[in-house]
Amino acid sequence: MNTLCQGEMLIDTENDIVMARKSVREAAVTLGFGVTDVTRIVTAASELTRNIYVYAGSGIMRWHSINDSNVGLELVFEDKGPGIIDVKLAMEPGYSTGKGLGMGLPGTKRLMDEMDVLSEIGKGTTIRIRKWLRQ
Amino acid sequence: MPNGTVSVIKIRDILLVTVPSDPDDITVSELQEQVLYAMERHSAKGLILDISTVETVDSFFARTISETVKMVALMGGLSVLSGMRACVAVTTTQLGLTFEQTLTALDVDRAMDMLSVAMDDKGDSA
Ligand SMILES: Nc1ncnc2c1ncn2[C@@H]1O[C@H](COP(=O)(O)OP(=O)(O)O)[C@@H](O)[C@H]1O
Ligand SMILES: [Mg+2]
Repeated sequence: MNTLCQGEMLIDTENDIVMARKSVREAAVTLGFGVTDVTRIVTAASELTRNIYVYAGSGIMRWHSINDSNVGLELVFEDKGPGIIDVKLAMEPGYSTGKGLGMGLPGTKRLMDEMDVLSEIGKGTTIRIRKWLRQ
Repeated sequence: MPNGTVSVIKIRDILLVTVPSDPDDITVSELQEQVLYAMERHSAKGLILDISTVETVDSFFARTISETVKMVALMGGLSVLSGMRACVAVTTTQLGLTFEQTLTALDVDRAMDMLSVAMDDKGDSA
């Protein structure tokens, strides 16, 4: 079966976080992820879209299925916000420049199979996460 | 229940609050205030937060719920987080959320039992 799914949405308001969760849930379910993995992926998307909304004001979430030798789902979160001052530090549990718990980035890394963070101060942040259906 | 609607029911000294399945941040924040004022208005001693339909618990939701439990404690109330789904328990734990110092129960029935026992004990020792 060659399920193709992809999409993108603007993250601009608080409600877009809810919409992002719905879209990602639908994509993950369609691809055949089990309920726990669906929850992991949706939770990661919730953390990263909220980061866009809180720290960058707005940005874009894109998702697409991967159908190579491995089947999976890739999500990309892109913003043109202030960038992350120290990515290594931001990946540490408990680090927050806001009033958050500082668990969003490190937690997302644990929930997903792959995570890349690209950030440039003054230019923005791009975070790519992946979950494989079977490894 | 429509999404975004928080239901608050009073049973004796206990408030039963049902959290909607996919609440936005505003709904979660408002839930906190709504719960605290309802505790005051009804002179409730116990609170059950039923999250059995909630499918996503992220760090914002967790922080607000933990805070609410602490605030209720300041008002002399005891809270039980009830009905966390298995997939949510796995995910929140991996995310690194602890819900320390929060009483939990499998379902509302057991949460009621826990609160009745705890509130009776309090009464006896007073
Ligand atoms: N898209 C982003 N743009 C700029 N800074 C960000 C972004 N995402 C995360 N950060 C920075 O990384 C820190 C850690 O993020 P996170 O782990 O989600 O914790 P929290 O959001 O609770 O602070 C944030 O406090 C913020 O300084
Ligand atoms: Mg965050």
